Amino acid sequence: MPDNSRDDLERLLETWAAKPETQLRPDMERKLESGLGAQLLPVRPLPSQGGLALIFLAIFAACAAGLIAVLDKAGFHLMSGAQIAWMTAILTGGGILFSLALARRMAPGSRPLFPGWLILSSFGAAAGFALLFPWRASHDFISEGWPCAAMELAIAVPAIAVFWLVARRGALFASAGLGAVLTGLAAFLALAPLQFQCMFQQAPHLLVWHAGTAAVLIGLGAIAGGLRRLV
Amino acid sequence: MDETPIDDQELRKLMTRYQGADPAAIEELVRRLSPQLLRYFAWSKTGRDDVEDLLQDCWIRIHRARHTYRSSEPVLPWIYAVARHTRLDAYRKRRRRESRESPLESVHEDRHGARLSSRPEGDEFGHLIAGLPETQREVLVMLKVLGMSLEEVARATSSTVGAVKQKAHRAYETLRRALGRVRENAR
Repeated sequence: MPDNSRDDLERLLETWAAKPETQLRPDMERKLESGLGAQLLPVRPLPSQGGLALIFLAIFAACAAGLIAVLDKAGFHLMSGAQIAWMTAILTGGGILFSLALARRMAPGSRPLFPGWLILSSFGAAAGFALLFPWRASHDFISEGWPCAAMELAIAVPAIAVFWLVARRGALFASAGLGAVLTGLAAFLALAPLQFQCMFQQAPHLLVWHAGTAAVLIGLGAIAGGLRRLV
Repeated sequence: MDETPIDDQELRKLMTRYQGADPAAIEELVRRLSPQLLRYFAWSKTGRDDVEDLLQDCWIRIHRARHTYRSSEPVLPWIYAVARHTRLDAYRKRRRRESRESPLESVHEDRHGARLSSRPEGDEFGHLIAGLPETQREVLVMLKVLGMSLEEVARATSSTVGAVKQKAHRAYETLRRALGRVRENAR
């Protein structure tokens, strides 16, 4: 594109941008000021993003630790040391990233966390299942699998409600991203105790019934977030 | 219209006073920000009444959401993120209403869905801008009309600086091509 054409476009844009299109009527200004001034009460600002992320992470850690302590630990005894270490790292990493992402979505105009990190952590969990565990499928794949999916839902759904109770103070504008991040954090929270409780430590079972259920939850969360308008 | 450049540090102080329920702060904020907000809504088309309704709705939302503002963050991206949600919700509401009602008079739409009937008379360039896709036009309005930085636009639109640059670049390319066509036809 020749330079004179570029300058021409810039000049046209500047003229267009400088054009005063609409004036605010004085009565409108007074109406706004008196309307807002009449319902003015002091408010407590949200904690910092770091503080909010720590709140979410603390809930995540406390619930995960409590559930692991209460539930059966068959999976813990079936996994090797390396499997336990990797899965702990992956699930903790997912919890940290989703907590940070949710905290960043709490205030309008915040810099969002690069979605690639969230996708990476979700794929990391799936890759962990695929690479760390044997590829053996049982004959009773479905009858062994659905109780795990049901348990994941039984943990994730109340977890969504708990995280929402904290997030709703700031996350006023629902969006697909907010729904996905909220359900993602709850799904990672459900995956942690399930991993240590489950007695079927095979890649196909973990990928379909654990990671698959989490993926469906995140998808549903995104749809629900996109549909619901809050303010 | 108040054309005084808006200083972010001053706006931060006003927002903090607003959170503390200082009536003078809200008056000052309304006076400083309303003309710009009105311009932002005016570019998203429809009539004068609709633009004022949007402005009023936006201030109600700002009021309800004022506790989510943190004094460590810039004010304009926060304000325009709220304004953007106001505009998008109004757009969705209008779409739903229009899908239920049959229009009394026909409204011509160009290939991007922009209303030709709302274009300013004789404003060929405004006509071309109205034809841009909504997301590209919004970025241009924020950058050129409101004078926001790339970082501020990225925050206001929950996007990244790279994505904003890309949208602006595409808008420029589309406008260059359209301008070329207009001039070609004029010869």
